[in-house]
Amino acid sequence: MIADMREALEAVLGPISEPVLVAGGASKEAWAVDAGGEPLLVRRAGGGVIHRHTLSLRHEFEVLRVAHEAGVKAPRPVAYIEDLEGREAFVMERLEGETIGRRIVRMTVPERLPVEMAEELAKIHALPPHELPFLAEASIDRLVEELDEVGEPHPAIELGLWWLREHRPPPRDPVVVHGDFRIGNLVVGETGLVGVLDWEFAHLDDPARDLSFALVRAWRFGVPEKRLGGIGDVEPYLGRYNELTGFDVRPEELDHWELAGNVAWAVGCLTQAQRHLTGQDRSVELAILGRLGAEVEYEICHLLERQGVA
Amino acid sequence: MSERPTADELAEAIEEFLAGEILPTLDDHRLRFRTLVALNALGIVRRELAKLPPEDDAEQRGLAARIRAGDVPAGTHARVKADVEKRLRIASPNYLERSEGE
Repeated sequence: MIADMREALEAVLGPISEPVLVAGGASKEAWAVDAGGEPLLVRRAGGGVIHRHTLSLRHEFEVLRVAHEAGVKAPRPVAYIEDLEGREAFVMERLEGETIGRRIVRMTVPERLPVEMAEELAKIHALPPHELPFLAEASIDRLVEELDEVGEPHPAIELGLWWLREHRPPPRDPVVVHGDFRIGNLVVGETGLVGVLDWEFAHLDDPARDLSFALVRAWRFGVPEKRLGGIGDVEPYLGRYNELTGFDVRPEELDHWELAGNVAWAVGCLTQAQRHLTGQDRSVELAILGRLGAEVEYEICHLLERQGVA
Repeated sequence: MSERPTADELAEAIEEFLAGEILPTLDDHRLRFRTLVALNALGIVRRELAKLPPEDDAEQRGLAARIRAGDVPAGTHARVKADVEKRLRIASPNYLERSEGE
């Protein structure tokens, strides 16, 4: 199997090293290979069912191409392969650095990291939508649909959705967003931010929503006192972003969308557990998320309390 | 209160993990034997769980439906939070303890 894949890859890349599986899931696989001395990563579809709101690898490759050309620190796209041993795949540059959230928050990260994150987001939000015509506009109503599909009663999630509906900030014009911009999807090195990964959730949305995802407590990886992803403060991040975009996003908008991010992840925990429960992808790791979602619901209660909900 | 995965569904997931992912990697006879014993023990837990009456989630369903309909009188947040705390005490007591200390 590896020999066949190597042969198929060599047809595109020329001689390569033996492919090594570095991450395998039901929806995506990642293989490390070297070609001509250059470290590359092959991202290949998995056997399982892909979440219905994720981009195909062909479209993800396109987003990567447009982002990289615009100077975003995204891995350089190398080749899209429609059929790599029966599944679609693409090849990109393999960036050096840490990607595991739990490790990043324990590293001595450069003080500039929050500012660098803001700089990348500002570039992403300026990407030309007409070059990515397949990107769809997302709305928070999608969460209600997903929750209803799960079919379990979760009053805390309902209360969060209710508050979000009642206190919606004036909508901003949708821009191209990353959709999952947080520690854990960034490559971080000693010198700072090396790259932005995992573009499969890219879509068109309110930029303030994209800006707030990194604040969600679950993505602070056990360092809750640092509100920006467990690595720093929000103020320099927001300040630099506003300076570059002129969007003038207000702190109250971040509060709103941080709550929305928690509601999204609380629903995400349930849908991940469903993958196990429906037999789509049996895994004890997915199963337990159905219960650990209660942590996220507790955070929703905490954030609502801060908004004065009684 | 009904929670998914249920206790039995969690036990089943552990059973599949031990039998499908761990057991095939074990060469040590003693570890293989103990893993098989652990699987037997899990089987006992599952049969014991099967005798329990199903949990009633009518109250949660009612509360969730009322909030969805926009019926959110004062005191709703306290009820919702109490419900989450009750579930967290089972799912992740350490998280609850840490959060309460903040």
